[in-house]
Amino acid sequence: MMTGLGATLARAGRRLLSSLPALFGVLVFTFLLMRVLPGDPAVFFASGPNAGKEEIEQIRKQMGLDKSVPEQLVFYLSDIGHGNLGRSMMTGQPVLKDLRERLPASLELTFTALLIALIAAVPLGVLAALRPGSVVDHGVRLFCALGVCVPTFVSGLLLIYVFYYLLGLAPDPTGRIDVFTSLPPQRTGFLSIDFLLAGDIEGWWTACRQLILPAVSMALFVIAPLARITRASMLVSLGSDFVRTARSVGLSWRKVVVTYALRNAILPVITIAGIVFSTMLGANVLVEKVFSWPGVASYALDALLSSDYAPVQGFVLLMASLFVLVNLVVDICYGIADPRVSIG
Amino acid sequence: MRFVSFRLAPRVLATTALLLIAAVPSQAQTRAETLRYVTGASVNTLDPNIPGSTRESFALSMSTYDRLVAFGRKQLNGKWVFDLDKITGELAESYDVSPDGLKLTFRLRKDAKFQDGSPVTAEDVKWSLDRCVTAPILGKAQLLTGSLTSADQFKVIDPLTIEVTLPKPDKLALPNLATVYPMIINSKLAKQHATADDPWATAWLKENTAGSGAYVIETFKPGEQVIVKRNEAWNRGSPDKPAFFKRVIIQSVPEPATRANLVERGDADLVVDLQASDVQSLEAKGKLKVVSTPQYNSITFVSMNNQIPPFDNVNVRRAIAFALPYDDMFKAALFGRGAPLFGASWPDGKPLNGIYPFQQPVKLDLDKAREYLKAAGLPEGFSTTFSFNVGQASTAEPMAALVKESLGKIGIKVDIQKLPDAQMSTQINEKKLPFFTEGIVAWLPSTDYFYRNFYTGNQRWNYSSINNPDLAAVAQEARFEPDKAKYEEDGRKLNAMHADLMPQIMLWQPNQDAVMASSIEGYTYEFHRQVDYRDVSRK
Repeated sequence: MMTGLGATLARAGRRLLSSLPALFGVLVFTFLLMRVLPGDPAVFFASGPNAGKEEIEQIRKQMGLDKSVPEQLVFYLSDIGHGNLGRSMMTGQPVLKDLRERLPASLELTFTALLIALIAAVPLGVLAALRPGSVVDHGVRLFCALGVCVPTFVSGLLLIYVFYYLLGLAPDPTGRIDVFTSLPPQRTGFLSIDFLLAGDIEGWWTACRQLILPAVSMALFVIAPLARITRASMLVSLGSDFVRTARSVGLSWRKVVVTYALRNAILPVITIAGIVFSTMLGANVLVEKVFSWPGVASYALDALLSSDYAPVQGFVLLMASLFVLVNLVVDICYGIADPRVSIG
Repeated sequence: MRFVSFRLAPRVLATTALLLIAAVPSQAQTRAETLRYVTGASVNTLDPNIPGSTRESFALSMSTYDRLVAFGRKQLNGKWVFDLDKITGELAESYDVSPDGLKLTFRLRKDAKFQDGSPVTAEDVKWSLDRCVTAPILGKAQLLTGSLTSADQFKVIDPLTIEVTLPKPDKLALPNLATVYPMIINSKLAKQHATADDPWATAWLKENTAGSGAYVIETFKPGEQVIVKRNEAWNRGSPDKPAFFKRVIIQSVPEPATRANLVERGDADLVVDLQASDVQSLEAKGKLKVVSTPQYNSITFVSMNNQIPPFDNVNVRRAIAFALPYDDMFKAALFGRGAPLFGASWPDGKPLNGIYPFQQPVKLDLDKAREYLKAAGLPEGFSTTFSFNVGQASTAEPMAALVKESLGKIGIKVDIQKLPDAQMSTQINEKKLPFFTEGIVAWLPSTDYFYRNFYTGNQRWNYSSINNPDLAAVAQEARFEPDKAKYEEDGRKLNAMHADLMPQIMLWQPNQDAVMASSIEGYTYEFHRQVDYRDVSRK
């Protein structure tokens, strides 16, 4: 057992190392891309009613844009080496600080949404696979189609309209916590966990209530791929020999479906869940905007629109690193779901 | 058998419902004494002087810092707006202007204290004004417009008196001291955080405040929210009284529809940046108070680059001016919420007065437009692009479609170009756009100021890139003209030139639509176009 775990860790470490060149490539590519894009950030940010040439030069110098591109790249790489991602013009804060504050918000939202999506999608997929072609199957298909068709910001606005505006059940959709509630001492950055650690149940409810609507509107969008993939791989595994054998020896329904069929069908679902998670992190910008969620995606979009280089570069680097991590976690999950698979 | 999975779904639903219903909002008891202001923008620095600072940062600094003087307010069509001509003391108890207009003397209030309790002295005022004209910050370019350029101009007479000397009797010197930038900083505190590289403590003041203003920063989360609490010792608004609200929450809510929902449900108290369509429906419902003030110090243009053919030909510009469907554009872009700057009739062909901006004698007249095109030697028309920035898409997009349609009728083929904001400002700065829409704003809206800053020089704000020595000379002369009648005469001359040369077409002044809970009172349209939190109170 010990050697098994050690080997897994060693392999994981090797995988991480081998992803470094890719990360470096992403770094340089984003850097160059930002400089190639038209739009001069210095001019944009010098937009006070009297900002003239002098101010523009000033900002250019402040952002290091007065130097040549290769020089800028060298400075940028050495800064990264020192753990400095630069400073955002938009918020006036170091990018690292901004990302550190905003990433937990995005992660909390994405995890919750993914959890909701999985809880809803796997049973739906299984159900559809058990009765293919039935009313239930078509119902699930319709539900999934609707979920994909309606863009997240539409479902988000709709949910706000119904639950906040009409019914008044949900709290106002302005960020992670009610403005009148005081924040718990920051430990993990995940408000729902921090409140529990602080023993503040009321605060925990407040944070959870804020989380539900955005998480649901994100989940609706990704239920479809998860449910469809569950259904497809369940169909394959339900039709396989071992399920037939299990049925013929009279094992209980639960044992057949959950233990044998589902466990064998879950691998593709995990793969898709990993991909869905990475996409959601970057693509939840619309939900973040609609719910004023202070996450990384809306931060990066604002930065991109105003050609604020440092935050965009920092965001891409963060996303690339997360993608590497998520892939690693997915691989490890494979091993748990199916002992025959080992990461290499 | 199959109810296993069936059982899960209701359980999820029930939990969701429970979570939504449970826990009645825990409102603090001080809700009535708290102002919750929501905005699509955000505060990015506590010192408005930092290059790149946002308008929300300007507004916040008005409450965290005091200036020597402040603008009064006046009624304009029944709405409160700032009054450029009435300047009252803020940190100054009184001020004198010498008869020749070259010396301004300010006597400070004896009771004024910084938020850390130390008294406000003339030394602090001098340090702050010196910083404004010396440090590489935004204040420099602003104060330049009031002939305030060097630290030598500020002299401490005694601990409570400071004297400002001017090279010329500049009318805008005093109003400039009431703008955002020349705020008075606690110099002892700031100097403790100054470094050899940064003698004016700009890095520290970006994250911290050292002022004497009505509100003290409680939390500052850039891009999310700022919470300020009342400075109980502040009494610069009304004698012996601090500001009304004990707490002000300035919160960023990017989605305009959400802002509208928040204020309609009473969760937010005040918002000034809703979409025109939302304002209209909220106004129709009649539950909220809507104060719509034409932004009388800002203008939206259709600009033409006077240096790029065919717009270098005055007849082409005139043709465009008579081919725009003004009324339709005004309705489509703003729902008619603003003050139009078109459709005037000048009986004797001369400007009605010397005030800029003015209503131009132009209207949609395609025959006249065709004539001008013929005079320009382009009877068949030409092709061009019309650009606007993404940030203004909600108003500019419908407008651009109408421009394209109408110009198509006289043979001008228009391609609509939607540019990201940074790209648009870069291209304007580089003078590369031939035909576009943009807006301007002037903090100190006097005729000569507009003409000097927006119609002269090879600089960004000269959208039309007009280079007319006569116009520049008259504007420059008007700047130091002490005689009111002569100033008016200069203004008329400038306006007549504008109507003749048609460097760009003024469209309208959009409304500032402040939507607030019916209990909110005292809202005033300020020069920085944001809310001054010190103005408002609750019934």
